[in-house]
Amino acid sequence: MLGKLSFRNAKRQAKDYVIYFITVIISVALMFSFNSIAVSSDIKELSSSMEYFSKAITGISVIIILIMAWLINYTMRFMLEKRSKEFGTYEILGIEKKSISNMFTLENLIIGGIAFIIGIVVGTFLYQVLNSIIMNLFNQPYQIEIVFSLKAVGITALYFFGIFVLVLLNCRRKIKKTKVYDLLYLDKKNENNMIKNSKGNIVTFLISVILLISAVVINHQGFTNASNMAGRNVFIAIIMLILGIYLFYISISSFIVKRYLNNKSRKYKKDNMFLYRNLISKINTMSVMMGTIALMFTIILVGGNVALLMNNMLNNEIEMGYPFEIMISKEDNDFSKFKEYISENTDVKDMYEYRLYNIRKTGLSKAFEGTQFEGMGVEEIETVMSLTDYNKLREMLGYEKVTLKDDEIIINSLKTVKNLFEKYIEENNTIKIADIDVKIKEIRGENLAQIGFNGYYYTIIVPDNLIPMIAKEDENLRNNSGNAEEDVAYYLDFGYNLVATTESMTDEKFYDGLNELFEKKELIVAEEINGEEQEYSVEVTSGYAQTKGERMSQAKSFYAIISFLAFYIALIFVMATATLLAIQQLSDSEKYKYRYELLKKLGMDELEINRTIFKQILFYFATPMLVPIVISIPIILSVGGIFTIAVTMEEIFRNMLIVLGMLILVYGIYFIATNVQFDRNINGSR
Amino acid sequence: MKKILKVDQIQKYYGNKDNITKAIDGISFDVEEGEFIGIMGASGSGKTTLLNCISTIDNVSAGHIYLEEQDITEIKEEDIAKFRRKNLGFIFQDFNLLDTLTIEENIALILTINKVHEKEIDKKVLEIAKKLGIDDILNKYPYQVSGGQKQRCASCRAIVNNPKIILADEPTGSLDSKAARQLLEIMEDMNKSMNATILMVTHDPLSASYCSKILFLKDGKIFNKIEKGDNERKAFYNEILDVLALLGGDARDVR
Repeated sequence: MLGKLSFRNAKRQAKDYVIYFITVIISVALMFSFNSIAVSSDIKELSSSMEYFSKAITGISVIIILIMAWLINYTMRFMLEKRSKEFGTYEILGIEKKSISNMFTLENLIIGGIAFIIGIVVGTFLYQVLNSIIMNLFNQPYQIEIVFSLKAVGITALYFFGIFVLVLLNCRRKIKKTKVYDLLYLDKKNENNMIKNSKGNIVTFLISVILLISAVVINHQGFTNASNMAGRNVFIAIIMLILGIYLFYISISSFIVKRYLNNKSRKYKKDNMFLYRNLISKINTMSVMMGTIALMFTIILVGGNVALLMNNMLNNEIEMGYPFEIMISKEDNDFSKFKEYISENTDVKDMYEYRLYNIRKTGLSKAFEGTQFEGMGVEEIETVMSLTDYNKLREMLGYEKVTLKDDEIIINSLKTVKNLFEKYIEENNTIKIADIDVKIKEIRGENLAQIGFNGYYYTIIVPDNLIPMIAKEDENLRNNSGNAEEDVAYYLDFGYNLVATTESMTDEKFYDGLNELFEKKELIVAEEINGEEQEYSVEVTSGYAQTKGERMSQAKSFYAIISFLAFYIALIFVMATATLLAIQQLSDSEKYKYRYELLKKLGMDELEINRTIFKQILFYFATPMLVPIVISIPIILSVGGIFTIAVTMEEIFRNMLIVLGMLILVYGIYFIATNVQFDRNINGSR
Repeated sequence: MKKILKVDQIQKYYGNKDNITKAIDGISFDVEEGEFIGIMGASGSGKTTLLNCISTIDNVSAGHIYLEEQDITEIKEEDIAKFRRKNLGFIFQDFNLLDTLTIEENIALILTINKVHEKEIDKKVLEIAKKLGIDDILNKYPYQVSGGQKQRCASCRAIVNNPKIILADEPTGSLDSKAARQLLEIMEDMNKSMNATILMVTHDPLSASYCSKILFLKDGKIFNKIEKGDNERKAFYNEILDVLALLGGDARDVR
């Protein structure tokens, strides 16, 4: 009997249930599409190689669960509020609370179950769509395989029903605790402020600011100190960020209330009173929602930027580090086996062998002082190349020849640090190399593999007449290494290089074959471990080889996965944000309709009403963007810091603008649509 | 006496060509400044339609309504809101207060819509609230006060802006008899001491007995018209009952 009654009532409120139903479906779909990615084998491989990465995935899962929990909680409470009058009436008619809450539970379980199944189906389509969007966006040949995975369904079911049951229990508790009177008048009540006194509010505000700043600092440390603390730091930073954002919005909304209540003339100006009161009546829900949206924006901004950074990194690293298809570095100049192997296995265009010399530091690395590059490069020694070799390499890469006078040198640096040297030589344009004073003719920024292969960050190019002196110093360095005072052995280059360009790209098999050509020897290393001298043997080779082809295939999969994942997460969160705001606006539109209708009856004209609606929606849309935009900039700079060797500052800032621009575009479209729909809801019924 | 409202041969039809319902079928009357006029009639007699036409919520099919010199049936769509907020005050059966605003703010709302200067609003609200005896509940929310207090708040809102005419639609409909009596006394006071012109639609003879003049509607036409004159309210009440009896079969609905 009661079941029938409740079913009929539910049917009558079908419109509200549609909102509820769709929310649950979208939540499940979003959760499922994320889980499908998280359990895919590519991600698992990546996670096993990077512990930090799997932590990040776990962290994001937690955030997604929290947001979905909030969303489901919000809509279920909305339904409870909608039907509270009905439940109150049942109670007045003498039906026990227990049967009422049982009825509510049963109803929700049925709806939740159906929505879950539909959500999985929608989610299956959703990730295909997201997948193709991102593939198009990044234009990447590498594809992450996502297949329908039962494991993902299982995890999603676990999360979803976990959340669902908890929220349901909370609702049951609420029904049980609420008095009939309150049930009957629940929809008229206004919410009370969470923090009552203003002192508490200021303290909360300060704590939130401190938390946000600390989060930024700790995150920065996590990314700059390349220790195993990084993962933990980032994790702590994320938790502080979440807390900070919520506390910020809770205290800010209290400030708004205070500001409003304390000043009558401000209150009575234009439509202020109406707007403020609309917000204040939902102050707790509002501040939690603002916090949630702000959190998602932060994730979107950071995620989108990481995705673009990875993409830049992929392109730039290959471009900078691998100008030649094949690059071999060796202790001696016997390259015969290698040349043979290369000639046999590839279609060689050009091949050249040359020497690199090491000399003592010249002070050039001072150019890095006070920048993020300080201490990252090798500052003990310099790498020197002769002009003849340099010009030959340039020729191979299609650059024009350069000339030098007898006492001039060129510094060829990475393009990312070129400006540092240019600034440096404004004041110091002569240096001493191998006890000879030379003038720095110019700084060049071509890519000649200065990421370790031809020097670190930069190479010094000297005219051929200086080479005998340089060679002598190189020899001294190598002989003396081992002296306690001048132990630079660790930093010395192998010295003999061979580079080759080919018509077509080499593959991984070629790379493996190339590496097998090196002689290997056992080396006994003595090291003090825990106060005890211990000896162990390591296998060392007489050189190393790099090929662009091998690097490409490795880097592509690695960066593509991270970049894909970051963008995917950003998209999921954009959708979640949109859903959240849609639900919020739609669910409250009935209430607002009554309010705006009254304003109309009292004589407010349509234009003014539309303006008021615009202001209200603008507030809801714009406020949550403030903190994320401010806070994401330092976070992105920290994350970007680890890429600065290959990605320029301009690129990082350009990324920020692209992501922000895209977000504002999507968000703006959504904002306008909401406005139009809201106006139609309010004005349509006339 | 100055003529405030002149209703001139208005008609209001509903339906299509084949099936026309005449909600109002040629009604004319005048309201003078300071009058407290009541409109009575059974359900379906057209009294709410009449009120809606006067309040510009609905428009007439034929005829004219003049508020002072202005023909309100000719007001352009975009000017209606402005006209309404300047000239009309409303009291509704279900109060129509905003739950998000306090009692004080609900009264102030109409002043902010009329763009009264912020500094004056507070003074005006307090003044009118004192007169109507709700100055002690100004900081409460509507759900925290009684129905009678809510309707008094609505009355404050209706008069605080000094409208030309106050339109009341079954103002006692949701109140118990004691609260209803209190409200009617307040409306009578508004009418007498503040010289407010009030047009009230009601089906309750007791409420109607507070009016100075009553129009009885039947099937969209004016059926009868009585004036209180120098009568006592009790005598006037009996007179109303007599007219209702004359209204015939429908009278049972009216009671």
